Amino acid sequence: MNAPILEVLGLGIAFGGLRAVDDVTFVAGRHQVTTVIGPNGAGKSTLFNLISGAMRPRSGRVVFDGVPCTGAPPHRMRALGLGRSFQITSLYPDLTVFENLRLATEILEPAGRWFLPVRRSRLALERADALLRRFELTERAGSLAGALSHGEQRRMEVAMALAADPKLLLLDEPTQGMSHGDTQETAELIGRLGREVSVLLIEHDIGLVMQISDHVVVMHQGRKLAEGPPDAVRADPAVQAAYFGHA
Amino acid sequence: MHSHVDAGPAPAGAAGPRRLDRLGLAMRASHLLFGFLALTCLIFAALAWRTGDVFYLRLATEALIFAGLALSVDILLGYTGLLSLGQALYFGLGAYASAVTLKAGYPVSGALGAAFGLSLAASLVGGLIVSRVRGVYFALITFGLAQVAAKAVYNTRELGASDGLIGVPVMPIHLGVATVSSDSPVGFFLFTLAFMAVLYGAVAYLLDTPFGRVLIALKANERRVPYLGYRPERARLAAYVLAAIVAALSGALYPMLRGFVSPELLSFTTSGNAVITVVTGGAGTLVGAFYGSLILTALRSVVGSWTSHHLIVIGLLFMAVVVLFPKGLAGFARSWVEDRFARTGSL
Repeated sequence: MNAPILEVLGLGIAFGGLRAVDDVTFVAGRHQVTTVIGPNGAGKSTLFNLISGAMRPRSGRVVFDGVPCTGAPPHRMRALGLGRSFQITSLYPDLTVFENLRLATEILEPAGRWFLPVRRSRLALERADALLRRFELTERAGSLAGALSHGEQRRMEVAMALAADPKLLLLDEPTQGMSHGDTQETAELIGRLGREVSVLLIEHDIGLVMQISDHVVVMHQGRKLAEGPPDAVRADPAVQAAYFGHA
Repeated sequence: MHSHVDAGPAPAGAAGPRRLDRLGLAMRASHLLFGFLALTCLIFAALAWRTGDVFYLRLATEALIFAGLALSVDILLGYTGLLSLGQALYFGLGAYASAVTLKAGYPVSGALGAAFGLSLAASLVGGLIVSRVRGVYFALITFGLAQVAAKAVYNTRELGASDGLIGVPVMPIHLGVATVSSDSPVGFFLFTLAFMAVLYGAVAYLLDTPFGRVLIALKANERRVPYLGYRPERARLAAYVLAAIVAALSGALYPMLRGFVSPELLSFTTSGNAVITVVTGGAGTLVGAFYGSLILTALRSVVGSWTSHHLIVIGLLFMAVVVLFPKGLAGFARSWVEDRFARTGSL
């Protein structure tokens, strides 16, 4: 069980002449928090899109939980055990919080429930309830997702990604735009999630990264600049020059 | 499924299960409005029967049949977020299949079966094309497919070409407990009402299943759907096939009512009217298709008896509805019913 949950080997894609992701190789460990950092435009979100099936890589390989799945579409990656959140909140604003979560947990039901009333989907309902409690959204369950505060919507975004019981969570800047207090809470939440499922995280808040990551991958202009434990990465002169802006 | 309450003491006025599920609540509100409509239809039928009216009963029956077409548009427009400008294709297909089958001497059940089978096959083929696209491309391709079919029928002598097929025989409809003749004004009106109630019920049921919720998710935010584990093209195809079958089954009743079919049934006018009907009645309500169709038919009839320029009046009224009631007439009423449900916490 010590095999990595995700192996990315020489992954690359170019848009026009721009090599958005260029020969990136790294491994995300099981039950660990692996964080990808890098300045804006470093190719982090594109890397997530390549892994989650939103885009097909031009070169390289992706192996998820021992299964080769390079270029597999999102629904197949979901079936393999991948859940992802979006940098720009992507909920169902006109549905209630509860309906959002149930929509995301429904895929766990056996196919025979496909044409039975949703209220019969016991598994999905129970899991949606558990998510409401875990993400402290129970009181907001009947509110429209579009009416939630920004912080609550960001929390929902993580809850949606976690809904279908993934093995690996891809979280794209989950704390973006959050207040300091919310960021801290979210950091603790991600730290706990990292022990249950595996987490691959994109994050800008360096303090948060250092606090919760087991492994850090630094990207710069589409390439991997460095990787290693948080402290080692922080001390790396090349990283300091490129990312922290001083040597 | 009350376990969410266990998480802690529920605050005052907290969401009960009914409020958590707004879609379910909205559907129950639609059911109530449908019940009201059915009741009104029954009273109308009783009055018409007493006065011996034929004209208005036939007109109302036709309105219900076209409501079925509008219902199929609502599955796509109101729930899946797809504007079909060619839904008359399947309505006409059902009507022609029914006319040909009935003329060949088969019973009504055979006509309905033919409409079902043909529309299933045709929409699977058409759906493979249209399910790959959305937005304006979906609208244009559905429009194009319907135009092609309309022209093909128009130029096929075996289908009566521009004249259509006339002389569809009057058929007895065996319902187990009773037999209704398709030329009995009251009997066929009630049969059509019951038939449409079944179609409405079946569609409402399907939209309340996980399958239906994925369609709703497509309309609300397609981007996330693949990451929830579903293929948008598959879901679009399923919605398209479902809508086609509903349209075709509705169309199958048309030759029973009128005794003929014409290429006009496949025309853009028919498709466009169905869209106008849904928007007037209320997209995304199912019941709006019925209110829209009955109200517009009544208006056409009443205004048409005053002036030959009734389309101008109808057009102005349509614009007024869109501006004043953006959710449509039944949509507006449904919001009100929903609020009542939500406040009382019960049906």
